[in-house]
Amino acid sequence: MMAMTEPAGLRTADDDLLPPADWAPRRTLAPGTRAAWIFALLALVLVSGRAWAAPLIDARALDAWTTVFVAICVQALPFLVFGVALSAAITAFVPPTFWRRALPARPAAAVPVAGALGAVLPGCECASVPVAGGLMARGVAPAAALTFLLAAPAVNPVVLVATAVAFPGAPEMVAGRFAASLLVAVLAGWAWALFGKGEWLRVPSPPHGAGEGRWEAFRQAMRHDIMHAGGFLVVGGAAAATINVAVPAAWVDGVAGVPWVPVLVLALLAVLMSICSEADAFVAASLTQFSPTARLAFLVVGPMVDLKLIALQTGFFGRRFAIRFVPLTLVLAVMASSLVGGVLL
Amino acid sequence: MTRSAQNLLLMTVGAAVLWITLGSGEYVNYVKPGFRYLLAPAGAALIALGAAGLRREWRENTAHEDAAREGAGHDGTVRHDEARGAAAHDGGHGHGHDHSRGPRVAWLLCLPVLAIFVVAPPALGSFTASRGAGRAAPPPAPPAQGFGPLPRTGGPIAMTMGEFIGRSYEAQTGDPASFTGVPVRLTGFVTPREGGGWQVTRLKMACCAGDAIPFPVIVRGLPRPPADSWVQVDGTWLPPTSGKAETGVHELRGSSVRRVAKPKNPYE
Repeated sequence: MMAMTEPAGLRTADDDLLPPADWAPRRTLAPGTRAAWIFALLALVLVSGRAWAAPLIDARALDAWTTVFVAICVQALPFLVFGVALSAAITAFVPPTFWRRALPARPAAAVPVAGALGAVLPGCECASVPVAGGLMARGVAPAAALTFLLAAPAVNPVVLVATAVAFPGAPEMVAGRFAASLLVAVLAGWAWALFGKGEWLRVPSPPHGAGEGRWEAFRQAMRHDIMHAGGFLVVGGAAAATINVAVPAAWVDGVAGVPWVPVLVLALLAVLMSICSEADAFVAASLTQFSPTARLAFLVVGPMVDLKLIALQTGFFGRRFAIRFVPLTLVLAVMASSLVGGVLL
Repeated sequence: MTRSAQNLLLMTVGAAVLWITLGSGEYVNYVKPGFRYLLAPAGAALIALGAAGLRREWRENTAHEDAAREGAGHDGTVRHDEARGAAAHDGGHGHGHDHSRGPRVAWLLCLPVLAIFVVAPPALGSFTASRGAGRAAPPPAPPAQGFGPLPRTGGPIAMTMGEFIGRSYEAQTGDPASFTGVPVRLTGFVTPREGGGWQVTRLKMACCAGDAIPFPVIVRGLPRPPADSWVQVDGTWLPPTSGKAETGVHELRGSSVRRVAKPKNPYE
């Protein structure tokens, strides 16, 4: 799928996310040397862990950590698999011309339509960046494509069902997520239509046809998305398990008592954890110490701004785009979730 | 990460999911029992995806060998995009991004699989229950028609921890007579209390073990069994001694305690 939307000759940071290759000087160590260094580092970690950490770690705490870690991964996996399957099907089977016909020509009018399309069509956030790039390459207004980029992973049906499962008996969380995310996507699109400058954005060159069968494209898209999203899901599960088990309840209560701070803390956590939007509701549900509004901020920020998306957007649209678009989205997302959370939750 | 590694990893993850769901039944330690209807198809889909990829690769390899044997002529028909693309990118100075190579972060998917097979983490127990001690779990809402009246004669009535706490809360805030003196039977694990004494506890799961909150009931008048052992406690509800009606603490005057096997679903 992405072979179809992928511009040639563009170094995207997609394959070796975090950090993208051009953030650091390229390593030129021979493989043998590198392996030796890695093993030396590993030995150092093991020895220091044995010396300082082992006496402090309760075996029951380790058990609890592992249980919570496995639980979050197991819980999120079905939603990840089915969400990725749907998004791969759309990428492989929906013809590119559909988008041009569905979206109005005027950017200001196209933005809400793109938001609505994002709400209907499931798309993994890793997939939505290349799809949005493909839309721009096919002549869709950048503002509308960016709205789709933000809305597709955040408010699609799979994500909303996953949120409802993760927060049983709390439909207001689903409603809040939908409203706040759509608001952010549309506002960001309009802001870009009003103030965005063409030179900030590197529009990817039109795709070159790839001679793939559709089923083959589907299979490859699905495998690709699971590999990316699954790895980050594991990172998120480990981080959530650590917060659950290791962070003293008093700290969290202290943080949770100050107005605004919990919202900002969870927004920052969402950026760092980079969990797939199909899975993040389960992590948010496990952060029981935090207020509902803070958890809503986690759910709204996560699919729109996180480390892997920053890397992807920089790779696809250029650095000048990312340093403007990422802060814009982040500020809008925090404000919208505080607002919606204050009204609904 | 090569294509074969990705396909094998997909199948391993799928197999691990199927194993805990259909094989060992350990999935109830992590998620709600109803979740198996989602887990089993997801595991099967992962295995199918990995198997399809492996099969395709195998056929390509044989096609390549055939082409090599015949010497020429097959270039237009043999699919060589993925395999050769991957080889070309090994040097790290390739241009774009080839979807046949997986990201390194995907190797992390091995961790939950290893945890499932090597550690087989047990259901959460007294560690989690005592961590949540500072945060009193809100009493569960009563059923729509309210808790029904209880028979006062006959053997102890088995009830869930949630029902006991719900009834205790109602009795504390409303009419204590409705719950006083009724013999009940609770099943849960033992959590020692700071400063002596113990409570029988069950963890309530909203969705997965990550969001479990404890339902503790303090047991009075019985010696403490070992921590984390599963017990069945018979006794009667103990009204709050202080003048305060709503204490957030629920107590049981125990009459007998018996060790039992861990229930099939350790959560409530």
